[in-house]
Amino acid sequence: MGVMLGDARAGKLADNVLGFGRTLRRAGLAVDSARISLAQQALSLIDIGRREDVRLALETVFVSKEQDRQVFGELFEAYFKNPDVAKQLLAQLLPQTKAPKSGPLRSARAQEALQAPRINKTLKQSNTEEKVELDAAMSASAVNRLQHADFESLNASEYKLVEQLVREIPMTLPTVDSRRHRHASHGDQLAWSRLMREATRHDGDVLSLPFLKRRPNPLPLLVLVDVSGSMQRYARLMLAFLHQATRHTVRSVYAFGTTLTDLSSAFQSSDTDRMLALTNTLITDYGGGTRMGQALQCIREQHARHIIGHRTVVLLITDGLDTGDPASLSEHLGWVCRQARATVWLNPLLRYDGYQPLAAGAQVLHRHVDQMLAIHNLSHLTALARALKTLLNQVR
Amino acid sequence: MSQQGVTQTVSAVVSSLEAVGYLPDRALATSVHLAICLGRPLLLEGDPGVGKTELAKALALMTGRKLIRLQCYDGLEQRDALYEWNHAAQLIHLRAAQSQRTPEEIEREVYQPHYLIKRPLLQALHTPEPGAVLLIDEVDRADEPFEAFLLEYLGEYQVTIPELGTIKAETPPLTILTSNRTRDLNDAVKRRCLYHWVQYPDRDRELAIVRQQVPNISEKLSEQVTTFIQRLRHPPFQDAFSRAPGIAESVEWAKALVALNTLSLDPEVIEGTAGVLFKQRDDVAALNPLLTDLLAPD
Repeated sequence: MGVMLGDARAGKLADNVLGFGRTLRRAGLAVDSARISLAQQALSLIDIGRREDVRLALETVFVSKEQDRQVFGELFEAYFKNPDVAKQLLAQLLPQTKAPKSGPLRSARAQEALQAPRINKTLKQSNTEEKVELDAAMSASAVNRLQHADFESLNASEYKLVEQLVREIPMTLPTVDSRRHRHASHGDQLAWSRLMREATRHDGDVLSLPFLKRRPNPLPLLVLVDVSGSMQRYARLMLAFLHQATRHTVRSVYAFGTTLTDLSSAFQSSDTDRMLALTNTLITDYGGGTRMGQALQCIREQHARHIIGHRTVVLLITDGLDTGDPASLSEHLGWVCRQARATVWLNPLLRYDGYQPLAAGAQVLHRHVDQMLAIHNLSHLTALARALKTLLNQVR
Repeated sequence: MSQQGVTQTVSAVVSSLEAVGYLPDRALATSVHLAICLGRPLLLEGDPGVGKTELAKALALMTGRKLIRLQCYDGLEQRDALYEWNHAAQLIHLRAAQSQRTPEEIEREVYQPHYLIKRPLLQALHTPEPGAVLLIDEVDRADEPFEAFLLEYLGEYQVTIPELGTIKAETPPLTILTSNRTRDLNDAVKRRCLYHWVQYPDRDRELAIVRQQVPNISEKLSEQVTTFIQRLRHPPFQDAFSRAPGIAESVEWAKALVALNTLSLDPEVIEGTAGVLFKQRDDVAALNPLLTDLLAPD
């Protein structure tokens, strides 16, 4: 490897940095033209004869997330290994070219970025596969009837309608007084800066006393949705409901069945239909078994930073029919409950009169959580949305 | 930003930082070098205890600048970060001047810079040559409105005070932001900064750090300590603990062992001092069964 930087010495360094920046952008890194020109400046400040220094300098400019570092490293290797590969890659940036020969094993994001963009056909298919005509006869009285109908008993067109209706349910999010203040007519502190401004305007006289009050902030949420076979119908509706109802607070959403899936990226989209389509592609274990203990362990080990100590409210949406080890579930659920401000179990099985949490998993859940609430029809969901704030105030 | 003689090249940054007692790897030194030369804030992320805050202190020593620290917390407000008017003094002025001046004169006199209480950000902008090192520590603990408030400062090194107008830095402060990633920062903040992920040091560098921070440690013990901690951080042992000890912990542990007159590591002394390495009961419990493997020779 005599030449370190492609055609650097032939004066094409700027072009190479530009092409490299565009490749990174395709891999999902936040690279804009300002970054690229900053990278070119950065290279003028270091010894570009040292390949390692070039890598480090480009990394500090282009990377802004820990999880992007590996992708960056692999793309840098691929891009600057030798000028031929670099040229080949630049050629591949044109849309008509074929996919590159399979090179060394790279991460999926790096591989995708090196290929010309393609339209995801499978996604389109899944959108059209289930075309349901809305029943024109679905009148106000039908909507009224649906309020109390169990989600499990809905036919396809009713389900579709309910999926629309759940998005409309307004939710009062639980709040806590933050350390930030806002102006108010009553409060616990004098608003000195406003008071002085008024006083100077009125010749030094204070006509009324302005106050500061703590600003209420919605509590952050951690939502865990069971997507196993027995929960399939509820999971989709709950996702649609929570997507709209909790859009004003900080939330982390995970689906679990046999594995744990982070749905936060899907929830970033403001359109509920798009969110549901995205979750469909993200979740690989839809309709499988439930291993809740394992999922919670994964949260504990890899995503613990998403639980803000004694602030986060955990919503656990499951029927408690767990196929994993109850001891491990108890251990990890206990940890989650100790970290969280409150843990609420939303259980569709409460539709049965006289339901008792007798299954092993359900017993563990019942022992640890602060509240258990029903979510099997629209009226219960509406009640939940109204009551969550009050309930949580009672918990602590 | 004026380029200073001490930071001409990456190697020079490495040796200047070493001279003030901070042992950086080349990646970190490159980021620091570019942050200084390009005049950009540097965002450091990494596990707790890898030396993010220490770097800012070392940079202040290295460049001869004053270190100004802004510790972030949830609910941090402009009046804690930027400025506040000295209301008591203003009130006295107001009362004294009330009978002799017109309201316009009073208003002008009351909002003068000498009634301004400068908080860290404003102090950093006002620091004369050679400027300041501003450490915005644990920025992830502050909330999103505060991040938005920081944008003007990070992008232009200036702030706007309604009564006085825009205040621009005399000498742009060398700005270091640290984050423990309790949440992801806004992209707008990241776009204004250079980024570096601070890693745990390799064995040789950690050994050098331990020896430098604990000068009276014996050669043998320092090697044992470093090897032990390196093993804790790497597979197969790493998965057994919820949080691996950082450099701060290894230095503290070495100090503790020296204070106990330890000559070499054995299971008993490790059990007795495990509380220095781990701060979770589960982690301390997980350590005991692994001790034989951890202490096994290579």
